[in-house]
Amino acid sequence: MIHHVMGVNGFYPLLMTLWLLPLAGAVLCWTFGPQLKQLAGWLGAATLGTSFVLTLLSWSAATQNSGGALGAHQSLLSWIPGFDFGLLLDPLSLIWTFIITGVGFLIHFYSIGYMHGDKAFARFFAYMNFFVFAMLTLVLSDNFVGLLVGWGLVGLASYFLIGFWFERPSAVAAARKAFVINVVGDVAIMFAIFVIFTKVGALGFGDVFANASQLGDWVFVVCVGLFIGAAAKSAQLPLHTWLPDAMEGPTPVSALIHAATMVTAGVYLIARCAPLWSVSSDAQMLVGTIGALTALVGAILGTAQWDIKRILAYSTMSQIGYMIMGVGVGAFEGGVAHFFTHAFFKAQLFLGSGLIIHALANEQDVRRMGGLMKKMPFAFVAMLTGVLAICGIPGFSGAFSKDAVIYGALAHGHPWLYAIGLITAGITAYYMFRMIFLTFFGSYRGDVDPSELGIRHPELAGTPAHDEHEPHEHDHAPAWIMAVPVGLLIVPTVFAGWLMFGEHSWWSQFFSAQFAPEHTVATPVSDVMTTVFAVAAVLAGFAIAYLRYGAPAAMEHAIERLRTETVRMPGALANALYFDAALDALFVRTSQLLGTLFGRLIDPLVIDGGVREVALSARWLGTLVRSFQTGLVRAYALILVIGVACFVAYYAIAGGVH
Amino acid sequence: MSALPVSLASYIGLSAVMFFVGVAGVVLRRNPLVMLMSIELMFNAANIVFVAFARAWMHNAGHIFAFLVITVAAAEAAIGLAIVVAVFRSAKNVDVDEVALLKG
Amino acid sequence: MIAFWVISIVMVASAVATVTAKKPVYSVVALLLNFAALAALYITLSAEFLAVMQIIVYSGAILMLFLFVIALLSSGVSSFNVGPDRMPKAAIPAALVIAIALGFVVYGLSNASIATPAAPSGSALGPVGSADVFGSVSDFGKALFTTHLLPFEITALILMVAVVGVVLLAGDKTPFVGTRERAREVRREMREAILREGGVQ
Repeated sequence: MIHHVMGVNGFYPLLMTLWLLPLAGAVLCWTFGPQLKQLAGWLGAATLGTSFVLTLLSWSAATQNSGGALGAHQSLLSWIPGFDFGLLLDPLSLIWTFIITGVGFLIHFYSIGYMHGDKAFARFFAYMNFFVFAMLTLVLSDNFVGLLVGWGLVGLASYFLIGFWFERPSAVAAARKAFVINVVGDVAIMFAIFVIFTKVGALGFGDVFANASQLGDWVFVVCVGLFIGAAAKSAQLPLHTWLPDAMEGPTPVSALIHAATMVTAGVYLIARCAPLWSVSSDAQMLVGTIGALTALVGAILGTAQWDIKRILAYSTMSQIGYMIMGVGVGAFEGGVAHFFTHAFFKAQLFLGSGLIIHALANEQDVRRMGGLMKKMPFAFVAMLTGVLAICGIPGFSGAFSKDAVIYGALAHGHPWLYAIGLITAGITAYYMFRMIFLTFFGSYRGDVDPSELGIRHPELAGTPAHDEHEPHEHDHAPAWIMAVPVGLLIVPTVFAGWLMFGEHSWWSQFFSAQFAPEHTVATPVSDVMTTVFAVAAVLAGFAIAYLRYGAPAAMEHAIERLRTETVRMPGALANALYFDAALDALFVRTSQLLGTLFGRLIDPLVIDGGVREVALSARWLGTLVRSFQTGLVRAYALILVIGVACFVAYYAIAGGVH
Repeated sequence: MSALPVSLASYIGLSAVMFFVGVAGVVLRRNPLVMLMSIELMFNAANIVFVAFARAWMHNAGHIFAFLVITVAAAEAAIGLAIVVAVFRSAKNVDVDEVALLKG
Repeated sequence: MIAFWVISIVMVASAVATVTAKKPVYSVVALLLNFAALAALYITLSAEFLAVMQIIVYSGAILMLFLFVIALLSSGVSSFNVGPDRMPKAAIPAALVIAIALGFVVYGLSNASIATPAAPSGSALGPVGSADVFGSVSDFGKALFTTHLLPFEITALILMVAVVGVVLLAGDKTPFVGTRERAREVRREMREAILREGGVQ
C-alpha cells in the first residue's frame, strides 16, 4: 500500500512570500547593484533570513490547519487539464526548504565577508538569491513540470556562479561543462515526464502517485529517465565530472550549491518519487548500485587530490553517492537524513576551507599549507568537527545518517552495497584526515619552492590565485562576519544527528506520513553491528592517514614525501580514473565527428543544396515564364486564343452530355 | 411562332467560323488597324449567336445583349484607334511588333 | 433557308478578305460588306431594330472612324502600307489552335442537341413594326428601358469613359508610348549619366 500525503489545500500567503522573496532580492541586487554597494550583501542575506523564518511560520500554519504533520498545498494557477501549478510544503520539501533557506542564509552572511571588495559584489548576491529562488521552485513545486522548471533554473544559476569570475578561461570552461552535462539530465527528465503524461494523463505529484499503477512496465523507463536527470545534477557516475571542475566558482558557491543544496536535488527527486521507485525493484537495484559505486569512486579519487576544494568536491560526490544509494535501495528516510546532516557538515567544511583560502591569499593547494593549527585555531576547530561528522564518529551528526544509509542497504537485501558502504567509510576517513594533517599539522610549506614539492606547474596544480579579485589587506571585512556562520554551523554539525536517535525518533515520526511503512525499516536507528563495523573502518582509515601524514616520523620528511607522492601518483588517479577522457572519446569526439559529417556533407549537399535547387528552379521557372512575356500583343492574343479553345473544347465535350 | 429557317447549329457554326477568322487576323497581322477590325469581326460573331438564340427562344434579352455588345465595340474601337494614333505619333511606326517594351 | 446560306457565304468571304487584304482601306471595304450582310441576317432573324443599329453604328460610325484614322496616318508614311505581314512565328501554332477549336465546335454541334424551349407567351412573330411583336422597336424599347435599364445606364458610363480616354490618348499631350528604339535611347542616356557620375568621382 503506497501511502502518500499531498498536503492540505488552503491559502498560505507566507508560503508564496518565502518562495518569491529571493527572486525579489535577486531583482533588487541586479537592478540597484551599483547603488547598493555593500548593502547588496546584507539585502541578499536578509531576504534569505526572512524566508527561513517564513518557512517555519508557514509550516506551523500548515500543521495547525491539518492538525498533523501533513503539510500545506496551495494551487497557484491552472493551465491545461492535468496540470495545475501550485506550491507543496510537506515533510520532504520542508526539510529541503529548511536547508536551502537556513544554510543559505548562513552562507550568504559568510559571503558578505568572503566576497568583500569583489568588483561584482552585487552581481554575486543577485545570482545567489536567484539560485535560492530556483531551488525553492524545484522543491516546492507540486508537479513535475514545475520541478523541471526549477531544475533547469538551478542549472542556469549554477552556470552563472561557476563562471562568476568569467575572466578566467578555466572558470568559463567549467561552467560550460556543468551546464551541458546538466542539460543531458534535463532532457532525460523531460522524456520521463512525457511518458508519465502519456500514461497517466496528469503531472501533479498527488495524481501521478495515486495512479502510478497505470504506468505498468513503463515505470522502469520513467525511473531511469528521472535517475539520469538526478545523476547529472547530483554528480553520479558517469556524469560526475563537472563537479570537481565546478570548484572554479567562489567558495561560498561551492558550499551552497555544489555541496549543500543543488547537487542533492537528485536525492530529492528520487525521494519525492518514492512511490514510483518502490514498485520497481530493477530501478532500485540500478540506482542503489550506481550510488554505491559513486560513493566508492568519489572516495578513491578524493585520496589523490591536492586542491583542498577538490578534495571536498570528491567527498561531496562520495557522500551524495551514499544518499542516492539510500533512497535508491528504498531507505528513503536514511537518504534524506544524510542529506540533512551532510548539508550542515559539508557547508561547514567548505566555509572552513574558505577561511583558510581567504587567509592564504587564495592558495588552495594543501601541499603549500601545513602547520596552520596555531595560526588559525578557529578554522581548525571548524574543519575538525566537519571531518569528524563526515567520517561518522559516533555522536557527531554524520554517524547517525550514514550508518542509517549503510544499514538500509543491508536491510533491503543488498549485502554488496552494504560492504561497499563500509569500505567507502574507511577511505573517507583516510582522505579527510589526510587533508587535516596536511593542512593543520607539521610546518608551514607555503614558502617552499613549488618544484621541491613536486608541483611542476603551480598554475595548474590548483585554482590559480586571482589577484584582481583578491581582497586587499587593508580592505578586509571584519573577521566576525565570516566566523559567525561557521560557528553557528558547528552546532548542527555536531548535534543534528540526535534528531534521528532512538526507536521512535523525532525524525521517523516526522516522516511517518511521507514514506510508506515498509520503507522505514531502515529507520535512522541503525543496528549496533553496523556502527561497530563503520567505526572499525574509520579507525583503519585514520590510522593509515596518521602513519602517512600525521606521525612525527612522517612529518620530518614531509616535503620529500609529498614530492615523491606527487611524482609517483598513479596515472589512473591523477587523471580521475580517465572518466573525462572516456566521456570525451565517447560523446564529444563522436559529436564532433557527427558535426564534421554534417558540416562537410549534409549541410553543403543536402541543406545548402536544397536551398540552391529551390533558387535554381525558381530561376528556371522565371526563365520559362519570361519567355511568354514577349511584349508582343499578338503573342498575348495567341495565349488568349488557346484559353478560348480550351473552353470551346470543354463545352463541346461536356456540354453535350448533360 | 415559327421554326427557324435553318437549324440553330448552322448559326453557331457560322459564328464560330467568323470568330476564328477574326482570331486569325489578330494573331497573324501586324497592322494594328487590321487587328482592330478583326476584333470587330469577333464581336459580331458573338452577336450572331445572341440574336439567333433570341429568335429560337422568342425572347428579346439576346437583342439587348447584342445592343450592349455593339456599344462596347464602339467604345473599344474608339480607344483602340486613339492608341494607334498615339503610338504612331511617338514612334512614326504602326508595327505592333515594334511596340514591345513590356518584354520580360 | 437560301437566304441564310447566301448571307453566310458572303459573310465568311468578306471576313477572310478583311483579314487578308493588303491595304487597310481594302479591309475596311470588306468589313463594310460583312456588316451589311450581317444586318441582312438580323432581318431574317426578326431583329430589325438591331439590323438598323448595325448599319448606323458599325457601318456609319465605327468604320468611318477607321477610315479617318487610315487617312490621318497614311499621309506621307510609306511604312504604313508595307504589305502583308511577314509570316510570323505564331502562324503555325495559331493555325493549329484555330483548327482544333473549330474541330471541337463541329464535334460539339454534331453531337449535342440544342434545346429550344417554347417561347414565353406574349411574344409572337408578326408584321414588322407592329407593337408587341417579337423584335419590333417597341418590344425592344420596352425591354431596354424597363427590365434592362441598369445595363443601359452603364453603357452610358462606358461610352463616357471611352470619350475621356480618347481625348487623353489622342489629344495634344500624347502620353509617352514606348518603342524598342525609344527604350534603347533611354538606356543609353542612363548609361551615359552613370558614366558621367563615375567620372566625377
